[in-house]
Amino acid sequence: MMDKQIHLWAFLQGIGFFPSGWMHERARPAGVFSMDYYARVAALAEQGRFDAIVFGDQLQSRGAGGRTPERMAMPTLDPVSLLTAMAAVTRHIGLVATVSTTYNTPEMLAERFAAMERISGGRSGWNIVTTAHPATAPNFGEVDLPPKDERYRHAKDVVAKACELWAAMDRAGPALPQGRPVLVQAGQSGDGRDFAARTAEAIFCPAATIDAGIDFRSDLRSRVAAVGRNPDGVRIMPGLSCVLGGSEEEARANHAAILDLADDALAIEYLSESLCCDLTGFDPAGQVPVETILAQTLLPRADIARAVAPAAEKGTPLGEFAAHFMRHPRGHNVFLGTPEQMADMMIAWRDAGACDGFTLQPSYMPGGLEDFVEQVVPILQRRGRLRTEYPGTTLRASLGLPSRETVTA
Amino acid sequence: MTRPFILSASIGEAAFAQAHIAAPILRAAEAAGLDLMVMGRAGERPFDAQVLLAWAAPLTSRLGLVATVPASNAHPFHVARALSAVDFLSAGRTGWSVIPEGAPGGMAEDMVGAARALWDGWGSDTLILDKASGRYLDASKVRASNYEGPFFKVAGPVNAMRPPLGHPLLVVDGDAPIAVDDADIALFADGAPVPPATKRLLKIAPGADVAAIAARFEAGEIDGVHFTLTDALAQLPGIAARFAGLGSEQPAGDLRARLGLPIPATASNQPGGAVVPEFA
Repeated sequence: MMDKQIHLWAFLQGIGFFPSGWMHERARPAGVFSMDYYARVAALAEQGRFDAIVFGDQLQSRGAGGRTPERMAMPTLDPVSLLTAMAAVTRHIGLVATVSTTYNTPEMLAERFAAMERISGGRSGWNIVTTAHPATAPNFGEVDLPPKDERYRHAKDVVAKACELWAAMDRAGPALPQGRPVLVQAGQSGDGRDFAARTAEAIFCPAATIDAGIDFRSDLRSRVAAVGRNPDGVRIMPGLSCVLGGSEEEARANHAAILDLADDALAIEYLSESLCCDLTGFDPAGQVPVETILAQTLLPRADIARAVAPAAEKGTPLGEFAAHFMRHPRGHNVFLGTPEQMADMMIAWRDAGACDGFTLQPSYMPGGLEDFVEQVVPILQRRGRLRTEYPGTTLRASLGLPSRETVTA
Repeated sequence: MTRPFILSASIGEAAFAQAHIAAPILRAAEAAGLDLMVMGRAGERPFDAQVLLAWAAPLTSRLGLVATVPASNAHPFHVARALSAVDFLSAGRTGWSVIPEGAPGGMAEDMVGAARALWDGWGSDTLILDKASGRYLDASKVRASNYEGPFFKVAGPVNAMRPPLGHPLLVVDGDAPIAVDDADIALFADGAPVPPATKRLLKIAPGADVAAIAARFEAGEIDGVHFTLTDALAQLPGIAARFAGLGSEQPAGDLRARLGLPIPATASNQPGGAVVPEFA
């Protein structure tokens, strides 16, 4: 029997996984505003035989309390446009765009994806999100986001309606090569997992450890089976970032060097955004202003209280707390080591049933993607775990899914 | 000073949404010296033109790419972002034509106002991108638009940079006019009212009399012509042979510079588009 194959997705939003990644000597911050950058990274992803490139998305600008950060990479250009432009200069790579069900009508998103699906020859995917950030609502004439359960109920209806529209567009022609985009989801909560189990053909998730990956994948597969779908028709793709080196020691030093590019001011901007409260006017040497944070945040207060409680108890200064918060991203697998060790880790996760593959989040762009494709991909290929040629030209073919599925939601 | 003679065409067949159809048409349009390709057109909604614009960007180098945007099936926050992205990917060759059909009266104009307000929320010189100082941008150049129109209320700032053109070219089609008095380009048919715009393009058939068109251009009555393509590959070479000679050499630069179209002062709080600093 052939060894279990590893699927690869490239999550390429922004200029890298680390908030300080854009300052790295091998990052190209001006690149994200130019076509030649996207042509280069799309070619790299195809060279690495990735299934797909994925862009996350938000529908609000970065910042907190009306203040735009100065030290974080932004803004994010429209992912559907970036991915469709990349379709024009590639032949195989899948293109997965994040689009909200709360702030698009079924007609709007069905037309967008139908165009993307047709012009790319069957390489489109839709990462279905309901939009969770409270700052989004005022960009769409509303004061508050609808509550979460309502957003998910609405999402189910939007997906169902979009699928109907795609079926009609497919019949009217030109045909949609995959019938509709591949449906992708990233929900973590119970609502999100149930929605994914009913709807998604590929799922992202954070999984910091192999055990977390096994738990998530087992849970999702049983939820998928419980709604009468085949669990083997769903790819589970946890996020994976990495910093490589010629030795483990060198990788750790490289990681520290990236983190050290960030100063307190960047860390406080990052913390401000995460807590949804502008802290840039506070003294970094002073106490974490817990009361201000809880009074001003738009996010659920209980979650925010849990995040800042340890600092309040220990009396950690704001700058130090912010630096620690930024240097320890929760929930994500950040691998530090040699390319050989990374390939070992990836194979071990796959064989243990912790994933079907990985959603690579390069540390900085495009250098981090170049390193992975040049150093880790050839090892996975030599070990027979990563294809050396694409099996077809559609995203479904790359994912190993049936070529056309009955449209459902 | 010589005025550029502007050659424009629209394409609205659903088949254009496929790569093997669209790629040769885009090549033929560039070879024909077309200045503008309007994707989609009034009265038809064959594809999402904003998506096709993005696909066309890397496959063309000179052609202005104009998306027909139906006001009834779009939101200014999304449209502002999509056109910003395409304008960067095409290095300043983007336009849009908002079509009111199916939408309540005033919605198309509201769409224009809201998207312009979002683009104006970012200053031309917002980006710094300085690794040494750690400053990515100048926050004092970013502001919430707090746009409130009859249909759209959009707070902003939008998470998209001001486009390189500042605002993509606004094209108004006389067959589906909108009440905007500072558009960049108007498309109009002989005998029909001409929507107000900086440049006026006469809708004609590929077989129209070239000498008569040249005379009307010299007289300042029109700034160019617009064709409604029905069989693009067959029609474009003939259009090039007959009409490309009317154009004079255009100045270098983005689409606004080439066509002599500064952002209308009434439309923007800044005279130009975003500048991306390049560091070694």
